Amino acid sequence: MTDLDKIRNFSIIAHIDHGKSTLADRLLEACEAVEARDMEDQILDNMDLERERGITIKARAVRLLYPAADGETYVLNLIDTPGHVDFNYEVSRSLAACEGAVLVVDASQGVEAQTLANTYLAIDAGLEVLPVINKIDLPAADPQRVKQEVEDIIGLPAEDAPEISAKNGINIPAVLEMIVRDLPAPEGDRSLPLRALIFDSQYDSYKGVIVYFRVMDGVIRQGMDVRMMSGGAVYKVVEVGYLHPRGMESAEALGAGEVGYFTASIKNVSDTRVGDTVTGVEHPAAEPLQGYKDVQPMVYSGVYPADGAKYPELRDALEKLKLNDASLSYEPESSVALGFGFRCGFLGLLHMEIIQLRLEREFNLDLITTAPSVVYRVTRTDGTVTMIDNPLNYPDPTEIELAEEPFVRASIITPPEYVGGIMDLCQDRRGEYIDMTYLDQSRVELHYDMPLNEIIFDFFDCLKSRTRGYASLDYDLTGYRASNLVKLDVLLNGDIVDALSFILHADKAYPRARKICEKLKENIPRQLFEIPVQAAIGSKIIARETIKALRKDVLAKCYGGDITRKKKLLEKQKEGKKRMRSFGSVEVPQEAFMAVLKLDSE
Amino acid sequence: MARSAQTVVSQDKSLGIYIHIPFCRSKCQYCDFYSLPRSEKTPELMDRYVRALEKHIQEGGARAPKYVVDTVYFGGGTPSYFGAERLRRVYTALSRRFNIAKSAEVTLEANPESITEKGCRRLISTGFNRISIGVQTNNDQLLKVLGRPHTFRQAQKSMEIAREAGFQNISLDLMYGLPAQSPQAWADALGSVIDMQPEHISCYGLTVQPGTPLYQYRDQAALPGDDAQAAMYLYAVSTLEAYGYHQYEISNFAQTGKECAHNLKYWMGGEYMSFGPSAASDFAGTRYTFASDVNRYIRAIATGDAITTEVEYVPIKERAGEYLMLRMRTVYGIERKEYESTFLMPFDPLESVLNFYGTRGLTRYSRETGRWCLTPQGFLVSNQLINQLIEAQRKSTPLSPHRF
Repeated sequence: MTDLDKIRNFSIIAHIDHGKSTLADRLLEACEAVEARDMEDQILDNMDLERERGITIKARAVRLLYPAADGETYVLNLIDTPGHVDFNYEVSRSLAACEGAVLVVDASQGVEAQTLANTYLAIDAGLEVLPVINKIDLPAADPQRVKQEVEDIIGLPAEDAPEISAKNGINIPAVLEMIVRDLPAPEGDRSLPLRALIFDSQYDSYKGVIVYFRVMDGVIRQGMDVRMMSGGAVYKVVEVGYLHPRGMESAEALGAGEVGYFTASIKNVSDTRVGDTVTGVEHPAAEPLQGYKDVQPMVYSGVYPADGAKYPELRDALEKLKLNDASLSYEPESSVALGFGFRCGFLGLLHMEIIQLRLEREFNLDLITTAPSVVYRVTRTDGTVTMIDNPLNYPDPTEIELAEEPFVRASIITPPEYVGGIMDLCQDRRGEYIDMTYLDQSRVELHYDMPLNEIIFDFFDCLKSRTRGYASLDYDLTGYRASNLVKLDVLLNGDIVDALSFILHADKAYPRARKICEKLKENIPRQLFEIPVQAAIGSKIIARETIKALRKDVLAKCYGGDITRKKKLLEKQKEGKKRMRSFGSVEVPQEAFMAVLKLDSE
Repeated sequence: MARSAQTVVSQDKSLGIYIHIPFCRSKCQYCDFYSLPRSEKTPELMDRYVRALEKHIQEGGARAPKYVVDTVYFGGGTPSYFGAERLRRVYTALSRRFNIAKSAEVTLEANPESITEKGCRRLISTGFNRISIGVQTNNDQLLKVLGRPHTFRQAQKSMEIAREAGFQNISLDLMYGLPAQSPQAWADALGSVIDMQPEHISCYGLTVQPGTPLYQYRDQAALPGDDAQAAMYLYAVSTLEAYGYHQYEISNFAQTGKECAHNLKYWMGGEYMSFGPSAASDFAGTRYTFASDVNRYIRAIATGDAITTEVEYVPIKERAGEYLMLRMRTVYGIERKEYESTFLMPFDPLESVLNFYGTRGLTRYSRETGRWCLTPQGFLVSNQLINQLIEAQRKSTPLSPHRF
């Protein structure tokens, strides 16, 4: 166990692409934790997907040993954080495990939306935030201006902020010295009963769940019986230790202030929820740590294999992903149109997209997903109350006494010049204005009550595009409100395609119905006969388009030598068809489903 | 019709022969067939090619002693550009090594700029009795754009020459869907060709093939869209019918009895043996194609090296698919008994597809002959229809052989 005053626990926060992962790599190198030649770039983001999208999805942590200028060797625990509003809760738990944060700001781009959002998350968590100006070797770099921005907009002293280039390894020791010098050492009493904060967990097929934690009080030892204070589960610690960049190193015990992992033959990450407190069975703590939330899926969507025969593969894949992702939920469902699949619950749209991409890439599955839906609460005329996360189960309007939809309190922080545009957007999304406060001259915080349904589709994207990326969004579920909801059905060639149905506010039904019909018309290839595309509420058709019949698909010449060639050509056409689903006599490509999902993003 | 009905049930060992002549004066902008444009080495290369063909024909003849050749087709390339003397030598080799029927159809593909009076006479005395001339369109501007080395006037003239020399079976090739071609311009072109009174007319929709010069600038070529091309096609079908040219295949029209017997072999599943680079054969259950390289071909014939790039033994199951793919290109179509007894597959699954599209005007059943075929509207989307038929076939369970 390291003395508390020789430990520094910190995160790196930044706007996307400002160099968070690259700086992490340089810090690792500088501490010789990883030899340069062994390094795959950006070791912290260890999923392909994360690297590609430039975001860190799941938190990870590493322990570095840094011999500082004062002659002492310090333990630096770097805890990585995800960077999207869908994962705000995970971010807040990662930050809660730290005393400080290094704020990376791009020397040419300056302060941006996520810089603000993440900085405020860190300040809210009571962290010391230390700015670093990165990419100083770029031609457009203007470190002085950016420092001034940091002082003016964020209100952090930045005069002495190190000017670095993470990419080219310029001035990295200054960052390390700053961490040692300016970040507070952790506090905590190792004689108190154990309280350790879980900030992440991961499934390993040999060891079971690996729990990442920060000890706040007391000591955790190998062989000790521990209890998850919210979840209630009890385990015997099999292994406890530190996280090194290239693997885990077991230890006898970890004390307050330290960051590490333990394993306990835990079968499922759902039993070790992020934010939960680990305590001893023998000398339990009286109170858990603050801030635990049981994270519930906010968005549900049907996930189906494009090829119906791949259903077992999809089931296995979801099972495997679930091992590592407690926030993913799923249960079997079936659709007339799509056959057998799963109803999956996600934290938000990005989470949904990531899961879909992982299913497609890591498990080589072709998927069709249905429009995302929130959970509605319906009271029937006979008094029974049902929670509905699937439009298929939406009752007939005559059976509904009261329909309610979930609302959130949205908090949007933005430079003042974008307030007008944001207000228009929120209004359009059925937002109810609550208040507006000037945080300082350059920042305004807006509060709106909004239906969650309006946020899950593409609100965040629209917000970013209207504010050139400067606004940040956070929201909390506030409860259910009565709402004039309707179920919109889509008909192809006269038949309802159940997988395309969804629930929405009556006022939105007409424009949305029109758009859906247009999109389907664009995305369904012409077939051998005319296909009406209709949208209906109950039996009332409210929008209609027509896909004209295909006029020409013919091989003009077909002579002897061509036969083999033409046969291949026809076969290729048939291959294309495999990616289509047939509804009655209409063939619908996957893209049509995707297009309907992306209805609003233009 | 008489000939076709016979072909459908024909069991005798008849054979078609195809000779590929891979030489052209110049390459057309849209062409993706294998042929070489003129160069100073052409005459010498042509002579060596004749010798290779003679040797290859000798070998081929030895493989088909029991066959009667009832069609011969010289295609290209531009066979007329090869010269009457060389053509005579090749045909002579054929007539020595194969048993060519007296009534055989012997076709030469020709381009207007290489048709001469003397040449035609010589060809007729050699044994050619059918000539197919590439007219393509009646607009000189368009001909130039397409890279055709002749004018429409030259095309008319060449037709007169061929007629006077004694060709009684002449086919003209036309193309529609050409750059910036209006429906009216197409109607004019079709009219001009009908005025020339050939026995047979082929109308091909311009297809932009990857690897051709046209493909490079296809977006700037102002090509008519699918709907416009479809309208041109349907106009051609009805107009030609009105002038006595019956449609017998997707792109082919003829006066009664003047259907191209050689091309029908391809579509009706007949056997054919071919010579020359890029040429394909379907002989004795096997389909094979020679490499698209005339020098390699000449060398290999001399040394006995392999020249096939593709050899495919086609099993009966696959033949069943080809039967659909090829027959449905023609107005003779398919028939229950013929299909069930040949392939031991049930016709019902096919018929339900055919019925479905029958009500939509894409397929047609003749009570008289009991045959199903596509309508002109159906021909336009034949790829889709054929694929649906093949899909239905793939899913069906074979019939018990004891049924027959």
